Amino acid sequence: MKQAILEIESLRKYYGRQENQTKALDGISFTVMPGEYLGIMGASGSGKSTLLNCIATVIRPTAGHILMDGVEVSALKGSKLADYRGKEIGYLFQNFELLDNLTGQENILLPLGIHGVTEKEGNKRLRELAEYLEITGVMNKFPSQMSGGQKQRVAAARALILNPQIILADEPTGALDTKNARVLMEKLSGLNRMQQTTILMVTHDSNAASYCSRILFIQDGVIFHELRRKVPNETREQFYERILAVMAQLGGGSANVL
Amino acid sequence: MFFNLVRRNSKRNRRENGLFFFSLLAAIVAFYIILSLPNQDIMGFLREMESDAVDRLLSLIPAFYAVTLFILFFLIYFASRYQLERRSHELGMYLMMGMRRTKLLTMLLAEDLWSSLVSIVVGIPVAILLSEVISLVTARAVGMGILGHQSAVSLSAVFWTIAGFVLIKLVAFLLLSGKFASKEIGALLSPTPEGAKRQRPAVLYRIALALGVLLLAAAYLLAISGEAWYSLAVMGITLAFGIAGTLLLFYGLRTVLGMLAQRQSGKSGLGVFTFRQLQENVIGQPLSLAVSSLLILAALCCFGCGASMTMYYGSNDTHTLDYTFQNSENPSELPEKLKSAGLEEYFASVFDMRIGQMRSESNDPAEAIHMDEMLALIEQQADSSAGSDLLDAYSNIDNPYVISLLGYNQLLAAAGEPPITLNNNQAALYGYDSFTNREKAELINYVLSQEPEIVANGERLQLTGTIQTRNPVTDRAITLYFALIVPDETFDRLAEETYTHYWDATLSPGFVQENGRMQAIQQINHKLDATDIHYESYLQSMGRQLFYQVASSYLTLYLAVIFLIIANTVIGMQFLTQQRKTGRRYRTLVRLGSHYEAICLSVNRQIRWFFALPIVVAAVGSVFGVRALFSGFLPPDLAENIPGLYRIAFVILFLLCVVEYGYMLVATRASSKYILTRMEAGREE
Repeated sequence: MKQAILEIESLRKYYGRQENQTKALDGISFTVMPGEYLGIMGASGSGKSTLLNCIATVIRPTAGHILMDGVEVSALKGSKLADYRGKEIGYLFQNFELLDNLTGQENILLPLGIHGVTEKEGNKRLRELAEYLEITGVMNKFPSQMSGGQKQRVAAARALILNPQIILADEPTGALDTKNARVLMEKLSGLNRMQQTTILMVTHDSNAASYCSRILFIQDGVIFHELRRKVPNETREQFYERILAVMAQLGGGSANVL
Repeated sequence: MFFNLVRRNSKRNRRENGLFFFSLLAAIVAFYIILSLPNQDIMGFLREMESDAVDRLLSLIPAFYAVTLFILFFLIYFASRYQLERRSHELGMYLMMGMRRTKLLTMLLAEDLWSSLVSIVVGIPVAILLSEVISLVTARAVGMGILGHQSAVSLSAVFWTIAGFVLIKLVAFLLLSGKFASKEIGALLSPTPEGAKRQRPAVLYRIALALGVLLLAAAYLLAISGEAWYSLAVMGITLAFGIAGTLLLFYGLRTVLGMLAQRQSGKSGLGVFTFRQLQENVIGQPLSLAVSSLLILAALCCFGCGASMTMYYGSNDTHTLDYTFQNSENPSELPEKLKSAGLEEYFASVFDMRIGQMRSESNDPAEAIHMDEMLALIEQQADSSAGSDLLDAYSNIDNPYVISLLGYNQLLAAAGEPPITLNNNQAALYGYDSFTNREKAELINYVLSQEPEIVANGERLQLTGTIQTRNPVTDRAITLYFALIVPDETFDRLAEETYTHYWDATLSPGFVQENGRMQAIQQINHKLDATDIHYESYLQSMGRQLFYQVASSYLTLYLAVIFLIIANTVIGMQFLTQQRKTGRRYRTLVRLGSHYEAICLSVNRQIRWFFALPIVVAAVGSVFGVRALFSGFLPPDLAENIPGLYRIAFVILFLLCVVEYGYMLVATRASSKYILTRMEAGREE
């Protein structure tokens, strides 16, 4: 059996004290296998972003374990923590977070500089990614001269440049129009199929989620449901329908009316 | 409630913006110090003997005050602008919550006034203290003694300090609030980063850069060739070239920084980020950088010129004599008179110095002397500037003087120098020392070594020895650029009968050591005033010298310090403000896995470069600027004193480094602290 890349065990994150306590995550456990494309869905405030931020070490969980390749993430400190952030995970932000005074190419190569990787190794990867993500034309442009879709694909290239174990994507299509959202999702799922890139994506866009191979639904800090795409028979459209059905229940299905 | 908010906000501003607050204090101190100049002990002292010059200097104070006001306005305007930009989001939020713009502006005005009040309350006592210290230190340094010190708080200086300070703060506030009031809430809430500003075609910036360098080079050339001093128009062109060149240079500098950023690509570390940040900073504020650079240049020139003028007036002191007495009725009685006044014991030596105009048979003084042989020797060297100057001066001697050898040798003895020996048909040449600079002296000494003959009132005399420059009387105002020192028999034959006896005297060393020269002379003057002896003391010379020294050093150093403070505050604040505005980027770097140390390294590098850009441009300019000022202002013999100038340059450079290091340290500390907040904030949402 393959070793899981990411293991989450009874993860809890509480905000506030005693009577005012909010349980953003209340004992979540799951694993992510290599090459998996996992979606996490849920309504606003369900805890999905908190989960992603815990994995990305942006916030510290109250209890539980996050194991990346068997290593406890919350125990990392100093340079190991910085290396984890840069090399083990690649983060794709909803609002891109490109440095707007750097050109596309400089933005993509930034992690190389930070982690002291030589230009030679990076350049080959840069060319491949730029070609695949169709951003060769904006390499020398500044973010202010790019479209939203181009910006997010440049951000994707930056997240991928160091070949991380896993891509954490936080609502990557949130700031994009439908067309650009579709292009991005196709590119990401292509990477997942061809290069076995592991992706963990938080979204509330059912369309974007339909590109995933498995989806966890979160409500009030716990996993409420799980959907798995039946390969190879189920089409994306069919999977999309199933997602919509779960979302209808989640967002206010008959249970809530009664 | 409203007042509490005002007080809290203004306190926070002061804490976050320590650099600016410090500069405000410096501004207040500067105002007070310049305005209270008339109250300084040394000015009171100088007024007694050089009242015209001192009054003229003091009448310049309002002008200096106005200039300071204007320049400080620049500082306060930029600093307040950065402060507002920094708070843009917060102010936008007040508006979003329904605060009316007038109320918001009132709040900002109240904050401004409150912080002005705090600055004044802290600044004025500091200023008064500092002004007293300066007064005491200068009084002591020149040997005036501090016993007569009267501490005087100048109320008018306090008033004008506060008035000027509040005035520029209000004007800056009005200008900024106008700008602020026209902004939309959206623009306040999410200010556009400079990087997103519209860029013009790159070639434009390259042209600007090239043009800037060319204009600067032209200005430098005009400055050092001395052309600039020939006419106001050329001076205007030089200045215009220099200013325009600096502006264009900073406008086009982004190209260079962009290239540097590209060269960093692929290298380990945050090199690309560092240079792109720098480039953005330069793109954002080329004007304030250029002005800062010009201010630093002005400061360096002031330092350079002030220091060398002070050194010149200080070092030029060939002091030997303390007193010269004149007694026209019965000259030979003077030693007796001193004795009867009980003053004899205070003097080490008293001797008769006879100086007289040369007799002429034809009653035309210009005919008294012929020195064709000497002029011919000088003419051989006439191609040098010293040669042509000398030729000019010596061919038109209309009232030649003679000095008696006996007296002059006593003077030399008092100065600890060997006597001149002359036989009856020999003479030595005298010329006062400021006229006879090094180059001229070398030339004359060469001519004298040929022992040329001259004809004085029909008598042939052979010139010999070297040129003598020691002043035969104490008052430096008496200047003879040509005189012959001759043995006393020759003197009796050559001088008009109405020659003058000057009784020169030196004070006894013990008395001087006990009281300091200045006090010693003052005491004796006091005693002499009670007698009918007519005297001139070294105090007048000293006062005149001191006046030049004080005037040049005080004003130039004052301006230099102000310029330096303003320029550095503007640079530092501009950097820190941009850092706050782009704080999000630092958080992104953290999320991409950058270490705290690596980010700080990048920031420190940014700071070093950002300070260095205007400073280096200014330093290069100052090399030419100071030289130009030398050729314009200073006597030529100082400009020749190359080792002395190097020493000054070194001291200035060292001072500049210390000041800049201090400012960089403050900026580095503030930014490291800020980065730390970015690191921590990354952990908690």
